[in-house]
Amino acid sequence: MIDSPLNPSLNRRRFLKVMGTGSGGLMLAFHLPGCSQIPPGQQENSLRPNAWLEFTSQGACVLTLDRVEMGQGTMTGMATLLGEELDYDPSRIEVVFAPVGKAYVQPDFGLQITGGSTSISSNWVRLREAGASGRAVFVKAAAEVWQVDQSQVRTANGVCFLQGSDKQVSYADLVALAATLSAPSSPELKSADQFRYIGKHNARLDGRSKSFGLADYGIDQEPDDLLYAVLIRAPRLGSTLKGFDAEAAQRMAGVERIFACDAGIAVVAQSYWQARKAAEQVKADWQTNELSALSTEQVFAQYATGLDEESGDSVRDDGDLDEVLATAEQLVEAEYRLPYLAHATMEPQNCTVWIREDRCDVWAPTQGPDIARYVARRASGLSESDIHIHTTFIGGGFGRRLSQDYVNEAVLIAKEFDRPVKLIWSREEDTRYDLYRPASLHRLKAGLDRFGKPLGWHHRIAAPVVLDHYAKDASGAMAPGWTPPAIVNFSSNFASWITPDTSAIEGAEDLPYDFSAIAVDHVKVDPGVPISYWRAVGHSFNGFVVESFMDELAEKAGEDALSFRLKRLQNFPRHQNVLKLAAERAGWGYSLPEGHFHGLAVHKSFGTVVAEIAEVSVEQGRIRVHKVTCAVDCGQVVNPDIVVAQMESGIIFGLTAALYGEITLKEGAVEQSNFHDYPMLRMNESPDIEVIVVESQESPTGVGEPGLPPIAPAVANALYRATGQRLRSLPLRLA
Amino acid sequence: MVTFTLNGIVHSLDVPDDTPLLWVIRDELKLKGTKFGCGMGLCGACTVHLNGQAIRSCITPVATINGQRLMTIEGLGTPEQPHPLQKAWVQHSVPQCGYCQSGQLMSASALLAANPHPTEAQIREAMSGNVCRCGTYPRILKAIQTVTNAMTGEEETL
Repeated sequence: MIDSPLNPSLNRRRFLKVMGTGSGGLMLAFHLPGCSQIPPGQQENSLRPNAWLEFTSQGACVLTLDRVEMGQGTMTGMATLLGEELDYDPSRIEVVFAPVGKAYVQPDFGLQITGGSTSISSNWVRLREAGASGRAVFVKAAAEVWQVDQSQVRTANGVCFLQGSDKQVSYADLVALAATLSAPSSPELKSADQFRYIGKHNARLDGRSKSFGLADYGIDQEPDDLLYAVLIRAPRLGSTLKGFDAEAAQRMAGVERIFACDAGIAVVAQSYWQARKAAEQVKADWQTNELSALSTEQVFAQYATGLDEESGDSVRDDGDLDEVLATAEQLVEAEYRLPYLAHATMEPQNCTVWIREDRCDVWAPTQGPDIARYVARRASGLSESDIHIHTTFIGGGFGRRLSQDYVNEAVLIAKEFDRPVKLIWSREEDTRYDLYRPASLHRLKAGLDRFGKPLGWHHRIAAPVVLDHYAKDASGAMAPGWTPPAIVNFSSNFASWITPDTSAIEGAEDLPYDFSAIAVDHVKVDPGVPISYWRAVGHSFNGFVVESFMDELAEKAGEDALSFRLKRLQNFPRHQNVLKLAAERAGWGYSLPEGHFHGLAVHKSFGTVVAEIAEVSVEQGRIRVHKVTCAVDCGQVVNPDIVVAQMESGIIFGLTAALYGEITLKEGAVEQSNFHDYPMLRMNESPDIEVIVVESQESPTGVGEPGLPPIAPAVANALYRATGQRLRSLPLRLA
Repeated sequence: MVTFTLNGIVHSLDVPDDTPLLWVIRDELKLKGTKFGCGMGLCGACTVHLNGQAIRSCITPVATINGQRLMTIEGLGTPEQPHPLQKAWVQHSVPQCGYCQSGQLMSASALLAANPHPTEAQIREAMSGNVCRCGTYPRILKAIQTVTNAMTGEEETL
């Protein structure tokens, strides 16, 4: 048995089964690349040319995956990039999840986070180079064996061939020799016409384990001697614990301890159910503050006051808006309103922590392992090098697990025990104590001349800024490991300074349409409700507002919604292209079945342009979405089927928000609790979806989020045609 | 003491009568393929078979299954001996995050056991109790149809 930092009492066999065939390579996920010391278990003659690729002495090819796999297909995508340049079938690559490490920092953010639909774009060069340098070493080794020039060596799927002969040798057989050779630092990369795996249909590497119940998620981690914890939380925003009576609960079977901590009242028992039942018997008394009375109406009133009284930050100011609007024949004005939304990941938040004297192991479904490490350091009081973050498969992320609140809580609880403790949130907690997609209020004004030509565009947004809530933990992870947490808190402004936050304005400030004057203002109003990144972030609301209002203008101009847009996208050929492709495939302008109507929208987010056309009807007052036609331009496609899957995913996720999603507050408490009052789209309501993927050799851009923004406006625009009702708030509710 | 058969193995356990079957399966029997999603029978992530019928294990007190026959995802098939639906799931790359898929497969397999040739509307209806937040519904539908079409094909060649 290898002496590994991975808790040996975890069911190792099961873990290996999920990860692949199970070689010594597994343990390599838990040491830092670049360490001079060879960790226990690693054979000295294994080949490790960089932080991502390893060939074990047994010949297994192992990818250390530094992006988390939460459904978006990053495991398959990264293996494809690596395998392409390595000349190695991606389906043969074993994947292990990366530890926290400097090499794995996402360069766009300076953090080791998976978010912003960036995994493929940020690794497009980095991982291909990792593969190419591996291949170069094998070529060098083969040339040495055959005593020929390297130009004579060809490679394919893990085998070197000697040109003009039938000689061949596998990479596996070359590992020992290759490990003694140096890898080139900037190897040559293939041109697109040489791709063998990129752009071809690749089956998901995690499809099998997930179809047999074998993938291990955070909630499945089970070190020996495990205790289970649940938390009793403040019932209203801003309330704090005054006192509690746990006498009856403490006497219940299996209960270990009940105690107050910064996160609430922790109930720890031998089993989850015992903890949950005991928690119901605890009587707690809470102190409230002014935030504890907050309601959704007050939130929108604060937003309205902000828009009434403040000019806000001018984030775009092209042309002279006042002058242009003064010449308008008609002015069009509208107010749009979008609600708070919960992430509702299928796997509720959870975290397993085991703290020993000088060691803290954290098993967490997290999108930000380095932030988790900082949070665990702060909560445990241990030093950075004592914290070991083990990432897992993630049962849905959507931005929720960029925040590490559940890691903080689990560490606070586990430090009271010398045994491992698993904290599991209920669905009710997950809904009521989420960090929400912020609600927002928008005022739009545009002018049209007497021919219906649009002149000016003014978009005013009232919304908070997500980074204000996120910076405290994130800047801790960015600061050097010795920085005391008390100092880090002061430097949280530093993080907002180096990372401009566009969460309120993205998708609005970059309006692609050609108006002679465009102004976009952001009035920052933060009602104090916890917020976070939510799939597509600002694009999730600005996409709806912009594309709905464009439809209003087309209507006022008496023009077709498609041609109205196309005319104003002269400088945006990718937008035009996806619009035309989707329109042609959906049959825009042609007759539909009785009572069916089309609506369209186009939106660029995370570098990717997506057009969607929704076919909608209203049956007995109920909105039905029959079909969605989607065209996507995400640059060079790595895994075509995963691009299609992510469009399907974004559309269905966005439809849930369009038709149902709404978190409301009453007296400081979230009114929704579970899937009966915060419903998800289900299979009987799910539309047929057709996706057209544009062929392109531009650098690849994101796909995890861009499918979402166009769907709500496409449906709303279709509903207008179906009913004459212009719905300016989400979720869509017909009068 | 409660006794039941799970995936062909008889278990006798001393757990409180009101413990939901889900937590017995996951934490007593250590079978982690069955997932916790909502605790109210609303999402289907915890779906298992009770005497061949799909049930929600999160709202089934363990005492009520005394003497009965249960199957979880681990009993449905293995990579070596997959259920036809599991083959179709892999073929269509159905899973994304994958967390709901055990429940989806248990609902789909119960449906096909009861009705080998469901219409599309029947599939959508039967699967409507299982939430997938990643939106894999179009692929679930195709995967189930692949299996039902194959079954039809087999019958025709007989």
